[in-house]
Amino acid sequence: MTFLDSLMAGLSLVSNLEVFLALGLGVAIGVIAGAIPGMSATMAVALTLPFTFSMQPVTGILLLLGVYKGGIFGGSIPAILIKTPGTPASSATVMDGYPMAERGEAGRALGMALWASCTADLVSNLSLILFAGWLASFALNFGPPEFFTLILFSLTIIAGVSGESLLRGAFSALLGLLLATVGLDLIYGTNRFTFGDPNMMGGLNFIAVLIGLFAIPEVLAMAWHPTGHLGKTRSLGKNKVTFADYKKSFRSILRGSFIGVFLGSIPGIGAAPAAFLSYSEARRKSPNKANFGKGEVEGVAAAEAGNNGVAGATLIPLLALGVPGDVITAIIIGAFMVHGLQPGPMMFVVNVDLIYGLFIGLIVSSVFLLVIGSAAIRGFKYVADIPRRILIPTVLILSIYGVFAVNNSVFDIGVMLVMGWVGYLMMRMHIPAPPFLIAFILGPLLEDNFRQAMLMSGGSPVILFRGPITWFFWGLTAITLYAILRTGLRGPKPPDSDAVASPAKN
Amino acid sequence: MDNRQLQIRLGLGAIALSLFLILIAIPNWVSVPSNVPHIVLSPVFWPYTLAGLMGLTGLGLVATGMSQTAGGPPLNEQIEDEKQGYLRLAAIAVIMVVAMAIMAKLGMVWTSMLMFMATVLVLKTRYPIAAFICAVAIPLVLYAFFAHVAGLAIPQGDFVRLP
Repeated sequence: MTFLDSLMAGLSLVSNLEVFLALGLGVAIGVIAGAIPGMSATMAVALTLPFTFSMQPVTGILLLLGVYKGGIFGGSIPAILIKTPGTPASSATVMDGYPMAERGEAGRALGMALWASCTADLVSNLSLILFAGWLASFALNFGPPEFFTLILFSLTIIAGVSGESLLRGAFSALLGLLLATVGLDLIYGTNRFTFGDPNMMGGLNFIAVLIGLFAIPEVLAMAWHPTGHLGKTRSLGKNKVTFADYKKSFRSILRGSFIGVFLGSIPGIGAAPAAFLSYSEARRKSPNKANFGKGEVEGVAAAEAGNNGVAGATLIPLLALGVPGDVITAIIIGAFMVHGLQPGPMMFVVNVDLIYGLFIGLIVSSVFLLVIGSAAIRGFKYVADIPRRILIPTVLILSIYGVFAVNNSVFDIGVMLVMGWVGYLMMRMHIPAPPFLIAFILGPLLEDNFRQAMLMSGGSPVILFRGPITWFFWGLTAITLYAILRTGLRGPKPPDSDAVASPAKN
Repeated sequence: MDNRQLQIRLGLGAIALSLFLILIAIPNWVSVPSNVPHIVLSPVFWPYTLAGLMGLTGLGLVATGMSQTAGGPPLNEQIEDEKQGYLRLAAIAVIMVVAMAIMAKLGMVWTSMLMFMATVLVLKTRYPIAAFICAVAIPLVLYAFFAHVAGLAIPQGDFVRLP
């Protein structure tokens, strides 16, 4: 199939109103959810996921991708207006966005955040289109030993999402890996921690575990401290972003976009480091460097370009290798699985129309983000007015229906509620939840590929070093582990700098 | 609880969990067929490996905790009345247990409405009328979507059944 054939197949898949409505709705949901502090993009994607089950695969996945992209931008709105990043990725935006808002230039800061986000989003999507296919064709040569080493390397993602303590991240990941062993054994079909209950034989439902970990702890945290969220909002001001502002910041936006693309294509790094790196590079190169941190519009542009540049690029390892680049793409894998699709190199052979349909949808999502983001900036006042003590019970009910919808199973609702308490306990004990989820997803793949490799070799571990690809991933894993051990085992890091108010939990 | 205490407690918890898995859980609750040719292919190999790593992580947590100085700032935000906080958490736990227990009898929609209202009562909203409207409307809208658009069989219960 030529590129043009693939493109036409993709176009025929997405050229209907339902797809574009879903995409637009997704962006709107994402922007609104990202704009509500405490209602992170991760939670929004998790709660939207069950609504996609009855949709066509391309429609449902584009809806989720819309939520993802909208959520990353939406996080900048409270970051600028109330110094509370809606997502961790927006933490860098606070540094110049909030001082601008204090000067009465919130509208200008938000406008620049939107333009920078859309530009970076477009760059990121184009990179995805260029690189994912190439990487997938390379990955077609992978067998179980290669996949085992790849997934082992991917587990080093955990270092990037462990937060303040790497060892606590490792503890969380091991809990996730252990929970993933529940169910029938992959080779012999014998019971593992099922206690004879048929509901447990297929393993614990992924959606129930993830919604339990990410949504329910917010309900419990609200019960613990119902007035902890009360804060103040501010008006947008009269200043708007101008083309001159955009032109002045364009180099920083482009640089930030490429930083985001590069870091986003490596599993586990995520949007927050990209935003900070882009911000620091912009400050280093800018003639107005003295103004950074005091309300420089270029600082807002760089931070937003960095974090939005990641959004499309995290889909490169997801689509090409079947490895999630961050927590949100880990959830999006769930959508693929529910529709009977397995992201990875074979998808570029078997479902090429879907891949190109997604590419087209992603390009269109940048335009939707521009339109819906502009409206959201004006409408944020109303979004912020939703009382949290009504919003949180709504999240609880949405979670119940969403989890039930996966398998028509009340048992799954019970799993979700129990995992909610586990997630809350982890939150109180400062054990990060993302490593748990990533390990829960990658655990069965890791074990499955390991045991398949062992079956192939008759139990000899030499097969895990059989060629340049396995050596390449062993090398990457060793280098990453060395870097982690050198910097990460010194216990919890000191609290973040004063510039950033406590970010919303991811 | 400061960072040091938390790190040590987590470490001890991880070691205890590791020992529990190795000594009790895996031998009792993982079935092993008799014809496994290699230990690496056994269904218990992976759980034992993870349990061992859990023990090592626990030791690491204890060691890093011991190396820190005691008396740092408390990790979690303090609230005015902790006792009330625990009572509210207990109330939410009761709501969840009761909801699970009555869902089969009452159906998901009515249970969700009651659950919403009970949660709102625990959280003491300042907008009771809006909360009541949401408590009724949201489960109905979700029912309409999942039952009539997605075609799911939402549990209806033994009493009032929805179309």
